[in-house]
Amino acid sequence: MSLTEDQSPAISTGDGPLVPPALRANPLRDARDRRLPRVPEPCALVVFGVTGDLARKKLLPAIYDLANRGLLPADFVLLGFARRDWEDEDFESLAKKAAKEHARTNWNEEVWARLADDIKFVPGSFDDDEAFDTLSSTLDELRNSHGIKGNAAFYLSIPPSMFPVVLKQMERTKMADNTASGGWRRVVVEKPFGHDLASAKELNALVDDVFTAEDVFRIDHYLGKETVQNLMALRFANQLFEPVWNSNYVDSVQITMAEDVGIGGRAGFYDVTGAARDVLQNHLLQLLALTAMEEPVEFTAEAIRTEKLKVLRAIRLPADPGAYAIRGQYQQGWLAGERVPAYRDEKDVPADSKTESYAAVRLGIDTRRWAGVPFYLRTGKRLPRRVTEIAVLFKKAPHLPFSHTDTEELGHNQLVIRVQPDEGVTLKFGSKVPGSMMEVRDVAMDFLYGEAFTESSPEAYERLILDVMLGDATLFPRNEEVESSWRVIDPLEEFWAGQEPEPYRAGEWGPKAADDMLARDGRSWRRP
Amino acid sequence: MTTLWDTTGTAVVQALAAERRSGGAVTSGLALTLVVVLEEKDTADVEAAVATAAAKHPMRVIMVLRHHIDAPVPRLDAEVSIGGRHGPGEAVVLRMFGRLALHAESVTLPLLAPDAPVVAWWYSETPKVIANDPLGVFADRRISNVIRDSDPAASLRQRAIDYAPGDTDLTWTVITPWRAALAAAFDTASSPAISVVVTGNPQDPSAQLLAGWLTSRLGFAVPVEKAEGKYIVAVSVEFEDGRTVQMTNEGYKLLMRRPGQLDTIQPFPQRTTGDMLAEELRRLDADQPYGEALGAVTGMTGLNDRPAVRTHIWHDPALAQQEA
Repeated sequence: MSLTEDQSPAISTGDGPLVPPALRANPLRDARDRRLPRVPEPCALVVFGVTGDLARKKLLPAIYDLANRGLLPADFVLLGFARRDWEDEDFESLAKKAAKEHARTNWNEEVWARLADDIKFVPGSFDDDEAFDTLSSTLDELRNSHGIKGNAAFYLSIPPSMFPVVLKQMERTKMADNTASGGWRRVVVEKPFGHDLASAKELNALVDDVFTAEDVFRIDHYLGKETVQNLMALRFANQLFEPVWNSNYVDSVQITMAEDVGIGGRAGFYDVTGAARDVLQNHLLQLLALTAMEEPVEFTAEAIRTEKLKVLRAIRLPADPGAYAIRGQYQQGWLAGERVPAYRDEKDVPADSKTESYAAVRLGIDTRRWAGVPFYLRTGKRLPRRVTEIAVLFKKAPHLPFSHTDTEELGHNQLVIRVQPDEGVTLKFGSKVPGSMMEVRDVAMDFLYGEAFTESSPEAYERLILDVMLGDATLFPRNEEVESSWRVIDPLEEFWAGQEPEPYRAGEWGPKAADDMLARDGRSWRRP
Repeated sequence: MTTLWDTTGTAVVQALAAERRSGGAVTSGLALTLVVVLEEKDTADVEAAVATAAAKHPMRVIMVLRHHIDAPVPRLDAEVSIGGRHGPGEAVVLRMFGRLALHAESVTLPLLAPDAPVVAWWYSETPKVIANDPLGVFADRRISNVIRDSDPAASLRQRAIDYAPGDTDLTWTVITPWRAALAAAFDTASSPAISVVVTGNPQDPSAQLLAGWLTSRLGFAVPVEKAEGKYIVAVSVEFEDGRTVQMTNEGYKLLMRRPGQLDTIQPFPQRTTGDMLAEELRRLDADQPYGEALGAVTGMTGLNDRPAVRTHIWHDPALAQQEA
């Protein structure tokens, strides 16, 4: 599907001499022919941990949705691996149930019937050599029977502690080897990508050692969202915004990811992780990188990664972390009309837990474009509503010809990119209030994705799984990005270690200390 | 919804503005204006199609129904709605009687969304010469549907004669799933194709366009061989290394047969007119592969080199009738 220079082979309209098209390129693919979808090469998708929550709620439905949209290759196999005494049919019925329950697109029995023939299962535990030998030989058999050509993507939907043993098995059976398989072998891993720089490096070394670095796809599902991709379109396809996208015009940037839910049943994971490692390290720093990066020389994975890395490496931590790196923990309170318990009263959380459920930090970016512009990042649980947004606040006009009282209600011009929910873009600017007085007030100009394009956007997982099979790494962070992000988080964690987090009431926009942090700079948080 | 009887274009523009005000700011992002030319009997079909397409593309729909050109007194009836049965966007239905029908653009021009592309769609009968219909002249994209004409094969030929970049036909949209499946099959080929045969109805414009597309891309003539069936029945490909691929349409399923491999079945979903219209509206520039396929069908060259802009040619059907 690469673009070839030879776009239009000679057209034959009769008996004239025939010029054969280039032999390598597929003559039916044409860069100008935008109706044809990108369909991956024949391949197998091997899922480890098919019984997990993620596999049932996201992964299996996404595969059905892809099939329903005609985006799966004709030669495709979904191969499950888990410690269950199952036949192919058992896995197929589990997958069907999961897909039917959570699929985004309409249910079509025909589509499933076709997919059902391509669903296989290999039982076994991760330390069982024999099971992995079976898996390997199954893949070889499928190459002939299902024409998958030795291409396979391995989706590790398992806890990171299991990675070493699974990866060792793949190395032993040469399943991860591109040359031995005669096709491509890719691996998909989910966050968390380690819990600090050292563990991330260890994990990266392990994965990149068994697979080649280009074949490792780290899923950050935020990057699969339409709005995040739209951020690049907004910045780099338009002339309007780029000239003001720098410290000459931008006053500050606020990136928020708020959740109204608590930690649910994930206490075991969350209490050793905390908000900073869970969200700040990956989602928020990725959003920051996309907001602040320079224009990539071309829209390719490599070029975008280069620019994101430059930003991540240029991040400056606050010199005074006591004032500009705030942690919080929710107390009992009321949220959406219901009483909710305090973090420490959640099931399985130790009564003296010092884990943060809220984190806010001021970061700087040491580049010519961004010097002096603070980037305020915040994330938390049990905040009033679920919202993720990037707000770029512009400086106030250096001189206003109106009298002070006329413009009292005029704030900063803002460009807000709403990642979820209500995906869209809002531009806030001052406008005259109708009437005989000169009064200027903020108004909002809104672009709503759901309204302009009411077709439901593909689920992030659909897009990302498709990209894995196509080998398009544009929306996946690479190992250096993960490691650079940990370089930002590690010193903060070190500073916070042993400290008591600031309390905030469930249903509030975070602890008072976070408000004070902005007040100290003469600013305030935007209410999302 | 506002209904206006015996009205003027200015009143329609005002009614639309009033609907927008009372409906709230629902029309923040209009991407295009779609002008549909239809007949009264097709209203239900067109409404369903437009509602589907409007869910995917934010647009203003203007439906033009021309009645009784010989009526003694010209008259305009209009219906303005936002977010009703025509989908989430804005819709204006215009019924034109008498000589007004020949000057439909005088009503539609002020109703076009500012600076947004205009797409014209003739649901049933596309004018023989598009330049004769002013609605087609100011449209950036023109969609015809020759399958609804009395002689589709002749109409497709006429579309090539009258072609300008920006024209497409729904019989081309229909074969996108075929083309996607064929392109995917060629992805896995290790040697070039030496022979391709389309089987189906040689008079079917879609079968012709599929063969024409393959001809234009592969550089050798691809015939349509007659077989039982209204449409495209199968496509078989032979590659230089002796491998073959046979694809058969099994009613909403595509069976792919390759010797030495298990047969595969792909879903071949039945698409509604609305789905196809939505596909058309995805691109608002010229579709060169269509132009090339149409050229290969008719043996004409340089279709895409023609000017994309048409100039209106006055055509009075009443006069034409008298002369005939």
